[in-house]
Amino acid sequence: MKALKKKQKRNYSLELEYICLMLFVLLILLSIAPRASALGITPGRTTVEFESGLEKEVKFSVLNNEHKNMEVTLLSMLKDDSGASISLFQDSIKFSPSEESKELKYMIKLPEEMAPGLHVGEIVAVEIPQNPEAETFIGATVAVVSQLYIYVPCPGKCIEADLEVLDAEQNSTATFIVPVISRGQLGIGEVRAVIDIYKLSEKITTIETDFRPLNAGERTELSAKWLVDAPAGDYSAKVSIFYDGESEIFEKQFTIGIQALSIESILVRDFRLGEIAKLQILVENKYSQELTNVYANLQVYNKQEKVMADIKSATENIPSLSKKELIAYWDTVGVDVGEYDGKLMVKYGEKSTDKNLILKIKEDSLDIIGVGYAIRSESPRGINLTTILLVLVIILLIVNLAWFVFFRRFIKERKNKAGKPIIRV
Amino acid sequence: MGQTKDNKKEKMKANKKIIIAQVIFLMIVGAVLFLLYPKAKVEINGNLVKINSGNANLIIISESPDFSNPRYLELNNKTEEFNLAPGTYYWKASNSYINGLKNKFTIESEVGLKIDDKELVNIGNVKLNVSEGENGVMVGHIILEPEESEKIENKGEYIGRQE
Repeated sequence: MKALKKKQKRNYSLELEYICLMLFVLLILLSIAPRASALGITPGRTTVEFESGLEKEVKFSVLNNEHKNMEVTLLSMLKDDSGASISLFQDSIKFSPSEESKELKYMIKLPEEMAPGLHVGEIVAVEIPQNPEAETFIGATVAVVSQLYIYVPCPGKCIEADLEVLDAEQNSTATFIVPVISRGQLGIGEVRAVIDIYKLSEKITTIETDFRPLNAGERTELSAKWLVDAPAGDYSAKVSIFYDGESEIFEKQFTIGIQALSIESILVRDFRLGEIAKLQILVENKYSQELTNVYANLQVYNKQEKVMADIKSATENIPSLSKKELIAYWDTVGVDVGEYDGKLMVKYGEKSTDKNLILKIKEDSLDIIGVGYAIRSESPRGINLTTILLVLVIILLIVNLAWFVFFRRFIKERKNKAGKPIIRV
Repeated sequence: MGQTKDNKKEKMKANKKIIIAQVIFLMIVGAVLFLLYPKAKVEINGNLVKINSGNANLIIISESPDFSNPRYLELNNKTEEFNLAPGTYYWKASNSYINGLKNKFTIESEVGLKIDDKELVNIGNVKLNVSEGENGVMVGHIILEPEESEKIENKGEYIGRQE
C-alpha cells in the first residue's frame, strides 16, 4: 500500500511538472501584458468513490474575483494508466465585469477496474490576456486548480487517518482528534488509537482514544483528552491506530501555547440602534491561577477601515478555571445600519486574546459573527425520533395483539353461546 | 342464520371502531410529532452558515455521519450565524423533546490566487500548496494559509492547489 502511495506520488509530481511545462508553453504563446492577476476556482477538490464504469458530470465554477473583462483557458489532466478520463465541455470562457463566476462541467469516465488507492485528476484554469497585441511582457502568472480525487477501495480493510490537536495550551485540557476514513471494501468492527507524545526524543505521556465501529467508505472521529502539564513548545505525537488486528502508525508535530484566556461568546440583548447597547462578553480562565485586571476592548471599524468605536469594559478578576462575564456599553448614536468589521481583545497583564468579528447592525438587532457559538459538553436533552417511532410501533403492536386476542375470545364466546340449547320457561 | 349475520355485523362494527381508533391515535401522534419536531433551516453563503430556528434550541454538528465528536450550538436567537471551514458537515436539530433526523451540508472550498505588487496572496478559503515554476520546471512550493501572502519575483508560474 505504501509502495503504491509512493508510486502515485512520483506519478503525481511528474504530472505536476507536465502541467508546469504545458502552462509555460501556453503562457509564452500568449505573451502576458503587465497586470494584477487574480483568479479563483471552486470547489478546490471533488471526491469520487470508485464505481465500475462510472460516467459522471462534475460541476465547478471559475471565479472572476476582480470583476473585470477576462478570458480563461481550461486544461484537464488525469495522467493515469488506469483508463479513466476527464473531458471538459468547454476549454475557454469569457467574463464581463458584471459576472462574478461561471459554472462549468466536466465528464469523468471510469473503467471497469482501477488499482486500489488514490487517483488524482486536475482542472487547471489560466487567465488569458485581453489584448495580446499590447507590449509583450513576461511577468509572474497564476493558475488555479480544481482537483478530482478518485478513491478506489482496497480489497480488505484499510484506513486513512490524520490528527488535529485543539486547545493545546498550558494548564488547559487539550483535545486530540483522530479522523479516520475507511478506504477498504470491508467495514471495521473496532478502530482505536494510542497517542504517544514526545518532546524531542523523550516520551512525555501516552493517551488512548475512544473506540468506534467504522463502515466501509465512512468517516469517524476518535478523540482523547490530555491535561497539559508540560511547558509550552513544539511536540511530536506518534499516533498508532489499531483496527481489527491491523495497525498503522504516523507522526505529526503540534505546539503547546501559553494562552490562558478564551472568549466564549458575546450576547447583546434588547438592542435598539441609537441607544446604548449592553455587550455581555463571556470569557473563560483556563489558567491554574487567578487572572487579575482582565478587561475587554472592542474596536469597530468603518468602511474606510478606521476605528469608529473603541469600547472598553470594566476590569474584573477571574478565578482559576472559571468563566466570567465582562460588561461593556456602546453608545450607538450616529451609527448607521450595515455590516462592520470589528476586533475584540480581552487583555490580561501584558497579554491579549483577540478575535476578529463582523457586526451586523439593524434597527433592532446586533448580530456578532465570529464569536459565540457556545459549545456545550453535555449531550442533548431530546429523544431520538427513531426511539419515538419504535415506541409507537410497539404501542400499535400491543393494541393489535390485544385486538386479536379479544376477538378470538369474543368469537369463541359467541360460538359457545350459539351451541347451547335455549331453555324457555 | 340471523344470529350469525348479527354476529358478523357486530364484529365488523367493532373492527371498524378499532381501525378508526388506531387511525385517530396515529393522527394524534403524527400531529404531536409534527408540533414537537425540532425545525431548523440551514443556509450556506460561502463559509458563513446561517441557521434559522423554528422550534429547535440546539443544533448538533459533526464532520462524521456517526456524529462522533459533535459540536453543540445553542440557539439563543431565532437566527444564528457562524463561519465554518470548507468540508461536509452533518447536523441535526434538537429541542427538549426530540432529536431530529440527520441532515447534511457542504461548504465548498475555494482556491484563489492573486498577484498584487510582487506579492502572491491566497484569496481563497483553504490552505494552498502553490507550485512555483520557472521555464516549465518546478522550482519550489509555497504554502499559504487563507489571506496569507508571500513576496515573489515578477516572473514564473504559480499554480495553486488545495493542500
